[in-house]
Amino acid sequence: MANLQNIRRRIRSVKSIQKITNAMDMIARSRFNAARDTLLSNIPYVEKTREILTRLMTQMNSSESESPFIMSRQELIEAQGRTDGKFLFLVIASDKGLAGAYSSNVFKEAHATIEYDGTSPTGESKEENFHKQNVDALKNMTGIDADQLRAQKSFAKAGGRRTPNKTVNVAQEYHDADYIEGIELITVGRKATGHFKQRGYNIIKNYSGISERPSYQYAKEIADLIIERFMSGEIIDVTMIYTRFNSAISCTPDDVTLLPLVTDDYPSENNAKEEYIYEPDVVSVLNDFLPRRIATRIYGAMLHSAASELSSRMNAMSNATDNAQELVGKLNLYYNKVRQAGITNEINEIVGGANALE
Amino acid sequence: MATIRLELVTPDKGEVLSKDIDMLIVRSTAGELGILPRHARLLTELLPHAMRVKTGANEDLVAIGGGFMEVTPEQITILADSAELPDGIDVDRAKAAMKRAEERIAEYKRATKDSLIDIDRANKALARAKARLLVKHVTF
Repeated sequence: MANLQNIRRRIRSVKSIQKITNAMDMIARSRFNAARDTLLSNIPYVEKTREILTRLMTQMNSSESESPFIMSRQELIEAQGRTDGKFLFLVIASDKGLAGAYSSNVFKEAHATIEYDGTSPTGESKEENFHKQNVDALKNMTGIDADQLRAQKSFAKAGGRRTPNKTVNVAQEYHDADYIEGIELITVGRKATGHFKQRGYNIIKNYSGISERPSYQYAKEIADLIIERFMSGEIIDVTMIYTRFNSAISCTPDDVTLLPLVTDDYPSENNAKEEYIYEPDVVSVLNDFLPRRIATRIYGAMLHSAASELSSRMNAMSNATDNAQELVGKLNLYYNKVRQAGITNEINEIVGGANALE
Repeated sequence: MATIRLELVTPDKGEVLSKDIDMLIVRSTAGELGILPRHARLLTELLPHAMRVKTGANEDLVAIGGGFMEVTPEQITILADSAELPDGIDVDRAKAAMKRAEERIAEYKRATKDSLIDIDRANKALARAKARLLVKHVTF
C-alpha cells in the first residue's frame, strides 16, 4: 500500500511547481501585453516600407539597377557563376525555453528552408520569401562553362543534396562538414545558437539577451553585418527565419528573403513603367533606403518573434498550471482513499482484537 | 479640387496621420518640395524639419525627425523616424534639447579636430528641436 507520507510529499511538490508556472504565466502575460503594443505600433511602418519597396521594384528596370542590392535572376545566376557565393541565414528564436514548441517550430522551418534543394514541391509561395526561387534558378544552371560547373558543384554542397532521391534526415548530417560548408548563419537567442552549433553549422555571429526586448539598435547592427557580408561578394542570398505573430493563439514560422532583391519577383502589373524621380539621385536614395528597409524588416521580425515567444510561453505556462491543478486533485483523492483505507483497517483490527478477547 | 492622400507612419507610434490633403510642403535633402495632387512618382530622403500640411484654408504643422517620402499620383507615404503633431509636443523639453544641442555644437567648434562630439547627431538634434518649437509656434 502506498505510503501516506510519500503522497503528501508529491502533492506538495506539484503544488510548488504550480506556483512557479503560475508566476511565469503572469510574468509572460504582462510582458506580452507590452510586446504586443510595441509590435502593433510598428506593423504599419513595416507594411508601408514593404509597399513602397514593392512599388519601387515593379517600376524598376532590371537592366539599369544601379544598386548592388537589386539584380535580375539572370544576373544572380551569373554572379553565382563568378563568385561561388554562400547562403546566409538569420534565425531568430528565444533565449529561454519553457515556451512550448516555439523554438522547435522555428528550427523546423529553418531546416526546411536551409536544406531546400529544389526537389520538394513549391506549391506554397510566400509573399516575401524568394529564397526557393533563387535556389531553383541556381540549380537549373545550364551550359558546360567551367565556372558554372564549379558553381553547380558548390551549390550541391550548399543547398542541394548529392543524393537527392535518398531522404537524409538532419540527425545523420550532424557532422557532414561538406554539406554545411556553403552556409553561414547568424543566430538570435541562445536556443538557436545551441541548436545550430550542435549540428555543426557555421555561425558567424550570435546574439543573446536581446530576443525578448528587441531594440532597433541591434536590428541595425545585424543589418549592417548582413550588408557587409553581402557586399563582400561571398554571399549570394540572405534569408531570415522568424516567427510571425498572428494572434495570441496563433504564431507561424515565416521566412523573408532580405537580399538580393530580384526584379523578376516583382512583375509589373502594366507594362507602361512610370519611372520614379529620385531626389537628389538614384544611387544615394537607394543606398539610404534599402539598408534602412532591411534594418526595419529585421526589427519588425524581432518584435514579431518576441510577441510570439511570450504568447507561446503564456499558453504553455497556463496549460502547465491547469495540469498541475488537475494532478493535485487526483492526488488528493488518492490520498484520502489511502487514508480512509488505513482507518478502516485499524477499526477492523480493533474490532477483531476485541472479538478475540471475548 | 482633387486631393492627395497623406500617410505618415513611424516605427514606434504606427500611423500618425492619414488624411486627404491639398498640398504638402517638405524639406528633402535636395531642398524644399511642394507636393500637389497628381504629382509624378518620387522617392526622396527627408531632413528633420516642420512640414506643412495644407487642407483647404488650413495649414497644419507636423514635426518630422527625418525619414523617407514616396510620392505616387494618388498618395504620399512618409516613413518618418519620429513625427509629432502639435498636441504631442513638450515645449520645455524641446527647448532643453535645443539648448543642449547648441552647446554641443559650440563646444565642437571650440574644440580641436579630434573631439568626441558627434557633430552630425548634434546638428540633427538641433534641427529636430527647432522643428518641434516651430510646430508649437514658439519663437527661439
